[in-house]
Amino acid sequence: MARVTFQEELEQLEASLHEEGTLVLRSLSGALNALVNQDEELADEVIEFDDEVDSRYFAIEEGIESLLARQTPVASDLRFVLAVLHVNLHLERIADYCVTIAKLVKLAPPVAPERLFVDAFGEMGARAEEMIRVALDSFATRNLEQAESLVQLDELIDRANRRFVQHVLSFGRDPTLREWGLRMLLVSRCFERIGDHAVDIGERTAYIATGEFREFTDASH
Amino acid sequence: MSDMESSVAEKMPTVSVGETVARRDASGDRPRQTVFDVRDLTVRYGGNPALAGVSLEIHENAVTAFIGPSGCGKSTFIRCFNRMNDLIPSATVEGEVLYRGEDLYGKDVDPVNVRQLIGMVFQKPNPFPKSIYDNVAFGPRVLGWKQELDERVEQSLRQAALWDEVKDRLRDSALSLSGGQQQRLCIARALAVEPEVILMDEPASALDPISTTRIEDLMHELKRDYTIVIVTHNMQQAARVADMTAFFSVDVSSGGRTGILVEYDETQKIFTKPSDQRTEDYVTGRFG
Repeated sequence: MARVTFQEELEQLEASLHEEGTLVLRSLSGALNALVNQDEELADEVIEFDDEVDSRYFAIEEGIESLLARQTPVASDLRFVLAVLHVNLHLERIADYCVTIAKLVKLAPPVAPERLFVDAFGEMGARAEEMIRVALDSFATRNLEQAESLVQLDELIDRANRRFVQHVLSFGRDPTLREWGLRMLLVSRCFERIGDHAVDIGERTAYIATGEFREFTDASH
Repeated sequence: MSDMESSVAEKMPTVSVGETVARRDASGDRPRQTVFDVRDLTVRYGGNPALAGVSLEIHENAVTAFIGPSGCGKSTFIRCFNRMNDLIPSATVEGEVLYRGEDLYGKDVDPVNVRQLIGMVFQKPNPFPKSIYDNVAFGPRVLGWKQELDERVEQSLRQAALWDEVKDRLRDSALSLSGGQQQRLCIARALAVEPEVILMDEPASALDPISTTRIEDLMHELKRDYTIVIVTHNMQQAARVADMTAFFSVDVSSGGRTGILVEYDETQKIFTKPSDQRTEDYVTGRFG
């Protein structure tokens, strides 16, 4: 009575999710390069590329709708399908932050940033990318320990964000520089939020593994 | 903690939902009463045990479902609750089945009384070849309950959600009813003798989907007044109707095929995060 077709559908769903993850990583990489190189053309490509992520997102959601309607998953299968439903949304939101970064690149006045800022973006971008990879890998292997390690990684990106804010606050009265700083604060915030979504993906991995949903950290205070 | 914090904490108590459901009945705050307490039950038909070492408690005003593959002993088990296995000469029952603390298999216990208190509905509707009215009135008449028989018949048919469909043809043959109606008639017949428990052995497996839905809705209604135990092959039916679910499996290690209880828990737990891998494999369809 093994449900062969159903198992294949679950595997297909997971494969689609990881393909979506790969697209999101490409989007992040594009947004980061557009930012560091102030490349507006690349920024446009990142914005356009979001349609790819969105169509994958909708396909996964439709797949879940169909699975729930036809196959009535239960137990670990149910937990997996519910987790994919959430992770799908987190990945789509991460891609949206990449689009926001690309748009801010285009909106920001042409200021040649100090080395300090280029390095800060490089660090936050690299950390965000690492967090997405860890989130996807731990989901794929249902590795609870690895998923929980996202909390420490998130702390690093949060700290980088706070340092960035301090730098921007030290800007003088130059209106162009201040506008640039304001835009870049939002960029920094995008990286920080990407980290949060990666942690949320880790929490879904933990849910599949343990059957209990819990937040890794209490965000209420 | 400040005063304000403490008052917020009082308004937002931490409640474990699953635990609350298990401990309390459907109507309010009373802790759930145990109706049946089964202790280390083994049933044999001749030599090999058909079912071995089962212990569990059945709660009042709840629907409890038994699920499991063919031959796992779930029908054998439900038949122990009203001593139906007594009717099979080779059957022997070891262990204890306590009904509200009293041994159901005690020397002084009359199986006929047991079957009045603990009614049963079978897989195939089995109305008598008599009128609809007489089917329901039969049990009360046997018990000598002649007072207000019409009212009793009407009330039983209403409780079984059949009254509106048959009130104008109570003298028609029960066999003129559809399969789903016949099954509800059998439920009405069981209710007419004022049981406390209704056992249902695959009550909807011979019915079409709409009749099945009506039986399932009926179980939700009836559990307010009765304790219901159901055997079902249909896992989703257990998921829909039951508060508690017991998963039985077949143990072949002794050479024969013996039914064993693998896991017994709240239905939601069984279908979201079962504790035993065998339950997981069965409910997800990876069994075998």
